[in-house]
Amino acid sequence: MLAIKNLTKTYSSGVQALKGVNLDLSPGVFGLLGPNGSGKTTLMKIVATLLEPDSGSIEMNGADLLTRKDHTRRMLGYLPQDFGLYPTLTAWQMLDYFAKLKGITNKKERHALIEALLDRVNLSAERRQRLGEFSGGMRQRLGIAQALIGEPELIIVDEPTAGLDPEERLRFHNLISESATENTVVILSTHIVSDVSNLCSRMAIIRHGKILSNCSPRHVVDELRGSVWEGTLPREQLTVFKSQFNVISSRTFDGEARVRVISKDQRPTEEFTEATPVLEDYYFDLVNRQD
Amino acid sequence: MKNPFQTPFAAVFTNEVLLNAKRVAPYVLMALFAANAVLWWGWGPAVKLGWATNSDFYIKRNLAAFSIILGLPIFTAIIMGDVVVRDFRLGVDPLIFSKPVGRGSYLLGKFFGSFFVLVCCQSAFAITLFVLQWVPFRNMVVLPVRVVPYFQHFFVIVVISHLLLAAIYFTAGTLSRNAKVVYGLAACFYPVVIAVSFLVKDLPPSFHVFIDPMGFNLGSKLDEWHRSAEFLNQYVSQYSLAAYANRAWVTIVSGLLLLIVYFRFRIEPQENRSDVNFTKLALLDAPDRIAYSAPAFELIDLPIEASLARDRITIPKVTTTRGRTATLFKIAAAIRVEFRLLRAERGLIVLLPLAIVLSFLSVPFSRIAPEFSYSVTAASGTANMLLLFLACAIVFYMGEAIHRERELRIEPVVWSAPAPNSVFLLSKFLAMTLLALLLVVVGGLTTIVVQLVRGYTPIELSPYLLINAIVVVPGVIFLTAVVTALNVLLRNKYVAYVVAIGAGAALFYLYNRGYNHWLYNPLLYRLWKYPDLTTGTILTYRLYCLALAVACLALAHLCFERKSR
Repeated sequence: MLAIKNLTKTYSSGVQALKGVNLDLSPGVFGLLGPNGSGKTTLMKIVATLLEPDSGSIEMNGADLLTRKDHTRRMLGYLPQDFGLYPTLTAWQMLDYFAKLKGITNKKERHALIEALLDRVNLSAERRQRLGEFSGGMRQRLGIAQALIGEPELIIVDEPTAGLDPEERLRFHNLISESATENTVVILSTHIVSDVSNLCSRMAIIRHGKILSNCSPRHVVDELRGSVWEGTLPREQLTVFKSQFNVISSRTFDGEARVRVISKDQRPTEEFTEATPVLEDYYFDLVNRQD
Repeated sequence: MKNPFQTPFAAVFTNEVLLNAKRVAPYVLMALFAANAVLWWGWGPAVKLGWATNSDFYIKRNLAAFSIILGLPIFTAIIMGDVVVRDFRLGVDPLIFSKPVGRGSYLLGKFFGSFFVLVCCQSAFAITLFVLQWVPFRNMVVLPVRVVPYFQHFFVIVVISHLLLAAIYFTAGTLSRNAKVVYGLAACFYPVVIAVSFLVKDLPPSFHVFIDPMGFNLGSKLDEWHRSAEFLNQYVSQYSLAAYANRAWVTIVSGLLLLIVYFRFRIEPQENRSDVNFTKLALLDAPDRIAYSAPAFELIDLPIEASLARDRITIPKVTTTRGRTATLFKIAAAIRVEFRLLRAERGLIVLLPLAIVLSFLSVPFSRIAPEFSYSVTAASGTANMLLLFLACAIVFYMGEAIHRERELRIEPVVWSAPAPNSVFLLSKFLAMTLLALLLVVVGGLTTIVVQLVRGYTPIELSPYLLINAIVVVPGVIFLTAVVTALNVLLRNKYVAYVVAIGAGAALFYLYNRGYNHWLYNPLLYRLWKYPDLTTGTILTYRLYCLALAVACLALAHLCFERKSR
């Protein structure tokens, strides 16, 4: 169990990145959803021991992660949003180095682990290739592989599927699901809502450094069933319509506006039909209400 | 008519000036040059010999020396080396080249923008000397205030000379897209100048003036040490025809180099040369807001085979080790990576030949009866030469090594690994020390071979072993530790370069002026003779040197940015 309590962080520039974040995370995949600048990466970096918070605490199974950094790093697998690799090393050499830093001294075990990880992320054929020659997707897959070294109990992946093609994205989902054992907490920070829908049993929405919601994605989508409507309007009526209903999205096409609305009690107009709710509907409804 | 301030060239030029104005390096250089000017003005030979500090002769002499001595050519490389490379490294190149800016405007704007900043930095030296005319101190001879000679000689000697150097560095950096090539060239500067001056020493003086690209020989050959101060103070120097011809060809060659860059420059990524670029994962940033994507759960329906062979591979269990053994294992792993990176970056290709050339030059060319033995003379010469060379190499390579993780953006991944700070710091320290010792061995072997070839026999191994073990090895350890601490404390490799070079130059100057004591000269530069090496006193000095090294490493460990508890 990972418990984050009253975490605050203000940068020297005066930007208040986290404003008293509280989260309780059980084993499994936990999604952290939010736009750019919401504080996701700051939160991830603090949990990954790379940034000091101003106040607050983080505990995992009773151990203070902020003061016992070496202990934290031993059980951590971290994939940052923005990272580089040594361009002149090969994929194999890079993973070998990370494995050694994790303390895997047994050569046989280490080599078997690297082979397995390279296979799982589909980089076996490129094991002897220099990382400077890797594409963005290949580097991302190597980043995922290094995060899984040494059976981490806390896996933090920040925007992991950016740069991956759909097939590799699905494989990543499988890999993460497998890694989330009964003792492992996986924190998935993303702005891709479908990643959260597909992977996470729990999620939080973070905005302007505050947690707006801590919920189950399936549960909130179920709750919206029967409340989401879609229809078209003449463009000139859109402003008036927006003032009357909770419009969560509108797209203009060929002089008409295609509108998606949340309305719990009534159908907005006869032209509107009921739509299947998605997690984005919940997100926009929540943000609209906050604004 | 087109407003010249609204052209693409002006935009690139002003942006380059703005970028440099936000860096620390130009300000540090200005401060260093101004301090240098004060030093040469008040504590140079003028006061002692009765030369007027604002005489035409002395201004020219100072500017000619300033142009070449105290690392100015290296500072030029720092400012001009990565002007275009920076845009590619930061990934801003597609944004710039998708705008209607011509290749000529871009390259000229970049070159002249940075060169303008460089000239501004250099002018701190001339302006300080100019201002100091109003503040003479006792016993200093000062002529009536003069203006033109300062700016005339600054332009002719410093600006034009460094225009050529800047064009060479800019060409090399832009076409190779690798700043290390530029630093390599800068490292070769002094050996090349020394070698060329040695080769042409028998040629006529006017030829010396004509071929000298740095303007060091542009002044008249006055034989200043045998002239009266009164004569020198009244002397008004004129540039000879050879000097004008020299400045003309220097300017033309600079223009030709820029023309080569113009024709050879390509904006597309270099194929098969990706190792020279930084590996930087520039993932698409998340949008400012969440937008609608395809409906959730859509991936489940993708037509992908349920289970490929590789998906059935389970990740094996591993055992991890803790404690001191694990830390030593991690340090060894990190040292191996440092050496792999060093080998891959081709650093040895630059360092090894330089060590060999310097060792070759340090053996006397003519047979003179030695004080102790030929081996002692040769080993002492090599040790002194190599220590100076290694000091420069350590400053540059440690700067690269300490800041490499940050520049490659690999820091978050590496720093989240369960390895203590000592793994990251000691591995770099030990890798550099081992490399330096390898160069010492290569230098020693070269000297022995040169001794054999020139017939300075018999060869004795004991002076080599004794001098290197007592003078060079502790010196290398001390230098590496100091530079490690400096880079950790200053957190910017360029600031560390400037501070190290500035402090080194100042100390070197002080030692040569006679202010030399083992307490502030741990390298024992000019403080040892061969018979001293077997006494107990020198061991005390060496222990003091090693204690300072340990203190520097401890300081670096304490102040290391990555916090561990």
